[in-house]
Amino acid sequence: MSGVIDKIKERLKDFRRPGYYKEFDHHYAIVIDVDRCNGCEACVVSCYAENNLPVVGEQGCEDNRVFNWLRIERYIEGEYPDVKVKFIPVMCQQCDAAPCEIGCPVYATYHNQDGLNVQVYNRCVGTFTCATYCPYDVRRFNWFSYKWDKPLDEQLNPDVTVREMGVMEKCTFCIQRIRGVNDKAKDGKRKVKDGEIQTACAQSCPTGAITFGDLMDPESKVSKLAASKRGYKLFENLETKPSVIYLKRVMD
Amino acid sequence: MKRRDFLKYIGVGGAGVVLGGVFGKISRPPGAKLIPYLIPPEDIIPGVGAWYSSLCTQCPAGCGTVVKVMDGRAKKVEGNPLHPVNKGKLCARGQAGLQALYNPDRIKAPMKRKGTRGNGKPGEFEEISWERALKILSANIKDLSDKGEAEGVYLRTNTVRGHLDKLFGGFMESLGSPNYSQYELYDYRSLRFANKAAFAIDAIPHYDIANASMVLSFGADFNSTWISPVNYGYAYGEMRQGSGVRGRLVHVEPRMSLTGANADEWVPIRPGTEGIFALSIAYAILDAGLYSGKDVAKWKTALAGFSPSATARTTDVAAARTLKLAKEFAAAERPLAIGGEVVAGYDNGVSSLLAVNILNYLGGGTGAKGGIIPNPDELFFADGTQEMDFERGIAGFVKDAASSKVKVLMLHNTNPLFTTSPKLGLELALKKVPFICAMTSFMDETSAMADLILPLHTSFEEWGDDFTNPAVGAPVATLMQPVVSPVFNTRGAGDIFVALASAIGGKVAEDHHWMSYAEYLRAAWNDLYDKNAEISRGTLTFDGFWNKLLQEGGWWKKAVNPSGVKALSTTPKKVGKGLFAKPAKFAGKMSDYPLYLMLYPQAGHLDGRGANLPWLQELPDPITTVVWGSWVEINPVTAKQLGFKEGDKVRIESPYGSIKAFVFPYAGIRPDTVALPIGQGHKLYGRYAKGRGVNPIEIIPAVADKDSGAMALNCTRVKVEHSGGSGRLVKIEPTAKEHGKPTQHGRPIVQTITSREYKRLKKETT
Repeated sequence: MSGVIDKIKERLKDFRRPGYYKEFDHHYAIVIDVDRCNGCEACVVSCYAENNLPVVGEQGCEDNRVFNWLRIERYIEGEYPDVKVKFIPVMCQQCDAAPCEIGCPVYATYHNQDGLNVQVYNRCVGTFTCATYCPYDVRRFNWFSYKWDKPLDEQLNPDVTVREMGVMEKCTFCIQRIRGVNDKAKDGKRKVKDGEIQTACAQSCPTGAITFGDLMDPESKVSKLAASKRGYKLFENLETKPSVIYLKRVMD
Repeated sequence: MKRRDFLKYIGVGGAGVVLGGVFGKISRPPGAKLIPYLIPPEDIIPGVGAWYSSLCTQCPAGCGTVVKVMDGRAKKVEGNPLHPVNKGKLCARGQAGLQALYNPDRIKAPMKRKGTRGNGKPGEFEEISWERALKILSANIKDLSDKGEAEGVYLRTNTVRGHLDKLFGGFMESLGSPNYSQYELYDYRSLRFANKAAFAIDAIPHYDIANASMVLSFGADFNSTWISPVNYGYAYGEMRQGSGVRGRLVHVEPRMSLTGANADEWVPIRPGTEGIFALSIAYAILDAGLYSGKDVAKWKTALAGFSPSATARTTDVAAARTLKLAKEFAAAERPLAIGGEVVAGYDNGVSSLLAVNILNYLGGGTGAKGGIIPNPDELFFADGTQEMDFERGIAGFVKDAASSKVKVLMLHNTNPLFTTSPKLGLELALKKVPFICAMTSFMDETSAMADLILPLHTSFEEWGDDFTNPAVGAPVATLMQPVVSPVFNTRGAGDIFVALASAIGGKVAEDHHWMSYAEYLRAAWNDLYDKNAEISRGTLTFDGFWNKLLQEGGWWKKAVNPSGVKALSTTPKKVGKGLFAKPAKFAGKMSDYPLYLMLYPQAGHLDGRGANLPWLQELPDPITTVVWGSWVEINPVTAKQLGFKEGDKVRIESPYGSIKAFVFPYAGIRPDTVALPIGQGHKLYGRYAKGRGVNPIEIIPAVADKDSGAMALNCTRVKVEHSGGSGRLVKIEPTAKEHGKPTQHGRPIVQTITSREYKRLKKETT
């Protein structure tokens, strides 16, 4: 048995090295301009629709079991009348040196060659380690096999698995869309154009706060935005090297 | 005979038997069902999505959509990237439209009343066939029209534009009834009146927020629900980080709404004094000599009483702050002042909104770029549009019903029982109507009063079109096409009316002789195509044009050299007088009811129509993060005085009634004001909405604006006291749950830079 695990470890050794995917073609990233974001939450519902996120109901929300892969955090600071309310969309940061990957005993979460932190549902045994290690609180656990009241299930996106009880899940940067566009480009024997892939949140964001793209392409919109002097990463001091870059809000 | 032919004939025969009768023929032309069995449709490839352009009907903004359909099921709605209103974007409500289509609580077949009205209990209705349902309705109408009492037929609908509006109007006209009217809780009628009074524009113009360098918003929550939130959301992004200089946003409202939260500066003004504040800014502009028009002397005399120091006590804004804002506004390259639904919610709404318009006139907010752009008068296909008129539509209906003038009432997708004050007496009025037919997709409070229920298609199953109003400075027409086959035994409103016309016969049938609404729509567009060279430009045949319409989602024009508003149609005297003569009145004595009540539409539910969609119920409110329920926002200082802490159940009592909700202490609201969201508190409306939270409209008086007659929502004071009781406040806010306070606890999560630093950075990079 230990021999098998050693073999897997040997095979996946490369996947453990931060930045290994830079030898490949893509490093997908999202830039969020917090100065544009108005907190309208169009992205949140868009994510629910695209990724088959279950609705857990009032009790589920009370128990912190809500399935928002993407949430708008809002902070209220100061006293009346000098109040500041701040919004920030937070999803899986697709960390380069992801704490969750270190924790998983079954390699259910690992780094793929596109710079994405992916979750293999079939491997996941639900130890909850990754969620405990994640500093961004973006992992969501299926405490139950959630049901959709018929015929709401007819809306379910066939490109995305419906997860079962005992499985951990999180934002995938809409990997089904990335794959779809890449396959189409491959069939057409061409390269993927910048802006051709759009995550559900980026596509619906009315203010244009969310931009998805490839950091390996120096001409892409994300690369340019990521170079902004307003740029910062969430909890940078933890050295997780996130792939989500935020642009500071201008606020006096 | 070949085997295949034999099957074909069997199919046709079978279809003929099943669909026999007048109504069957109308809804499904023969053959339409047969072909797909023989030739697989080209757009159904298992596992591959096809995108169809259509129209979003979750609110009246009129955004264009593209719907992803896989294997005959709608999977995702996105904004139509070509559409000039939403530019490829779509809000939370629009996205959730899919859950209206596949909602388990949709009415699945026509129903007839068995029991008494309005209790909404299961078993109250029995399912009947479409043939029978339409026979009942047409017989009721025909009876009246034969007796020459057709004016006893009333039709009330939510916002309907385009050819469905024309069909409704034409039907009622042929019938001989003038009683067709539209109703919407947020109808922007006061804003229209103010625009008419100031600039002689009897419409909502396009506000060019994207290009404004300073936006002064008077209670216009354009980031969340005001007029066209996706369009203005896009504009907000562009204003902040578009190609130009970063625009500044100042928000004036007693409560910090979502737009207030995004503003650079929030002015917590005393409720009802927004207009006075606008004029005091105007006064300061004049006083500082920053306005140089010919009529400057006249304005000075007219606004003499509005000096910032004189109004400071009324508005609760320090004179120095008013002066500073005035200078900033006048100095801005492209300033823009907008007045929203909070201001329209007082009984002096029109005069206050007029004051905001005057501020634009004096401060330079009327330019073509970053200003007010009037929509073209003639959208050349928009004639026949019904005016939103609360006085006539709902208040008038209540009066007519009381005097037994209403014999047959047809309701289309509207729920006025939920959105009007009980003091108006609408429920009693409905009970007096001998026959009510509700065309709706869901059993809501008003539909439960009906004798006959005709279940409607959702926008995903139906043909339709929309002439966006307000447009974006240039005409926009959007086409709606069925993207999936009907989920239940429902029909489109257009088809119902076409079928009704033929069943009633006489002039109505002659004027509406089509087989189906789809045929009517195509014929009507053919007419437009023939008559307007502008529409037909670039296409050779109507068929080609129609295909282009279906493909691109509609027809629109780019605004070429838009012009702002310049001419003023009012006199300085009238403006000044208006507000002094009409201070906002609030019901309830200050000593008994010490707090102002403010109602606002909850971002996800608007006027309550989104409450039956689980995604929107689970969508946290942007400010409070509350899900699946109602709350009342109280300033922490006031809450402490009254002995409330977060989550306490309290009774909110006005002179007109009381409701219970949970306390959410919010520093972004004036200490003398409490705010409640509209949207929850449904007695019916499906499993997700029913019995959840409270409807604050239940405790407001039936007050209308003095000038426009539009419903005014913020005209009462309340008192709040402990009540106790069951339930809880559920929020999605992990940090506050753990640490008690909604702050960042010193962590650099939302990082900010000052505007000075930002300017320095920008200089460095360019």
